[in-house]
Amino acid sequence: MTMTISPGSGVRSLKDRLLGRPLPLPGEPRAVVRLHDVTKTYPNGRTALRDVDLAIPEGDFVFLVGPSGAGKSTLIKLLIRDELPSHGSVFVDGLDVARLPRREVPKLRRRIGIVFQDFKLLPRKTVRENVAFALEVTGTPGRRIRPAVDRVLALVGLTNQADQLPSQLSGGEQQRTAIARALVHDPRLIIADEPTGNLDPLIAWEIIQLLLRINELGVTVLMATHNAEVVTALRRRVVALEEGRIVRDEPRGAYHHDD
Amino acid sequence: MLRFLAFSLRRAWQGFWRNALMSLAATATMTLMLVLLAGFWILQAGLLAGLEFVEQKVEVVADLRDDAPAAEIDALRRRLLAEPGVRSVDYVSKEEALARFRERLAAQGEEDLTRYLDENPLRASLEVKLADPRVAGEITDRLRNERIVESVIDIENLVDRVLTVTNILRMAGAVVLVVVGLIVLFIVVNTIRLAVLARADEIEIMRLVGASDAFIRWPFVFEGAFVGLLGSLVTLGLLGLAAEPIGRFLFDFFRILPLQLGSLARDVAIVVLAAGLGLGTVGSWISVRTYLLR
Ligand SMILES: Nc1ncnc2c1ncn2[C@@H]1O[C@H](COP(=O)(O)OP(=O)(O)OP(=O)(O)O)[C@@H](O)[C@H]1O
Ligand SMILES: [Mg+2]
Repeated sequence: MTMTISPGSGVRSLKDRLLGRPLPLPGEPRAVVRLHDVTKTYPNGRTALRDVDLAIPEGDFVFLVGPSGAGKSTLIKLLIRDELPSHGSVFVDGLDVARLPRREVPKLRRRIGIVFQDFKLLPRKTVRENVAFALEVTGTPGRRIRPAVDRVLALVGLTNQADQLPSQLSGGEQQRTAIARALVHDPRLIIADEPTGNLDPLIAWEIIQLLLRINELGVTVLMATHNAEVVTALRRRVVALEEGRIVRDEPRGAYHHDD
Repeated sequence: MLRFLAFSLRRAWQGFWRNALMSLAATATMTLMLVLLAGFWILQAGLLAGLEFVEQKVEVVADLRDDAPAAEIDALRRRLLAEPGVRSVDYVSKEEALARFRERLAAQGEEDLTRYLDENPLRASLEVKLADPRVAGEITDRLRNERIVESVIDIENLVDRVLTVTNILRMAGAVVLVVVGLIVLFIVVNTIRLAVLARADEIEIMRLVGASDAFIRWPFVFEGAFVGLLGSLVTLGLLGLAAEPIGRFLFDFFRILPLQLGSLARDVAIVVLAAGLGLGTVGSWISVRTYLLR
């Protein structure tokens, strides 16, 4: 698979034009994710994040790296409001996540596409049904579902497997189904927690390429990963956590600290 | 709103059939519990009818003076009928009393000695049947003060004892029914909880993609209601099938009881349907709530 990787900035307006979104104001691009002074201590007393400050401008592609237990998944859980910060503020796409009333959490989740290591597909629904599910359960009118699903299935390259069950798919295809589902709400932000953790290296590359392509369409991507080879090869923005602190934030980083 | 309803009902229907085994297990449990509940309900109704039957046996009998004028007897009868707690007042003439006495002797196979009597020694009487045995004492006192009344047999002690026993039995019946109801509630709710637990993944995914609580909750609630409805219909079907043979077996028993079979059947149908729908709905509401509160 070959694909040219260009910086997101030039292409962003394409997606904006496609979606009819207003152009961002000149100057500093809007931050899709902004954490300020965030600390997270779990009820058992374990502190998973300490004094984290992080801003991710629209269109960024960010790798979140760090040893096991560094707090990557915790940071992601704060963004999707699976957990609340003990201290500090979290903004996602303009929403004050920590202060969001409970009934507005679905609104936040619809603005984010979420992808996990274990795919989280429904085993008894086909690829198409799994993707359509995300629209059905959020009250999308029936006639709008089919075209939207077809569009994202084409985008992830699963048009031909649309009527297969997850059990009849390879791991890579299952993850692409999950990505299609994450995209079907037209989110501005995709958050992926070790999306390639269950895949062998070649397939992992395919998934990364797909996420890069989605990023080129203007969607911001934040991806937690242990995949050193991919991170180092791509030289994108790398945010490294260690024991809950951001120890490194480089625009063209590698997996390990460059000597 | 309409789309939401259509969505919820469709998802409920799908949910039921996609997890057919679990749904059928839940329905079977529901049916079993409803049969149990209906069985105890019927027993309770039988018990109450039996107790009422016993209590209605209580009657106050006033023997009348031989010289009591018919008009006064009739007036007394009417006054008694107007008393609260009195069900009926029957006048038994001297001749009827004698005839009854003879019948009783004949039934016992004894020689009829009354033909040796040259005059009827029995008294005419008023038999006051009570709807509420608690008024027995009051009626007895009232009758004793009537001029035309010769004597009233004292039954107050008997009434007290009967009432003590019947009240204890009533209470016991109610307690048993409540306990059975609680057991049924517990088992059904837990069965539904298990059925929902089997779909925790589905709920998690719904939350992840931004489904609102209502979209998550109502399909499950409808599905629970559906399980409850199905369970009650199966239960009513089973009871309908069983009614004929059981009814034949118990017919004589029921006939002497003040039990309206028609209204009992209606009550049982209402109880089974309400319990089925209620348990199904409340059970799934509670079960889903656990996941939504996180
Ligand atoms: N629900 C929880 N309750 C208590 N402690 C938790 C909870 N979740 C995570 N932790 C703790 O918080 C710390 C950070 O965990 P987290 O899952 O964020 O790490 P991670 O960087 O994602 O690790 P990995 O690379 O292994 O996925 C760990 O020490 C972990 O034990
Ligand atoms: Mg993790």
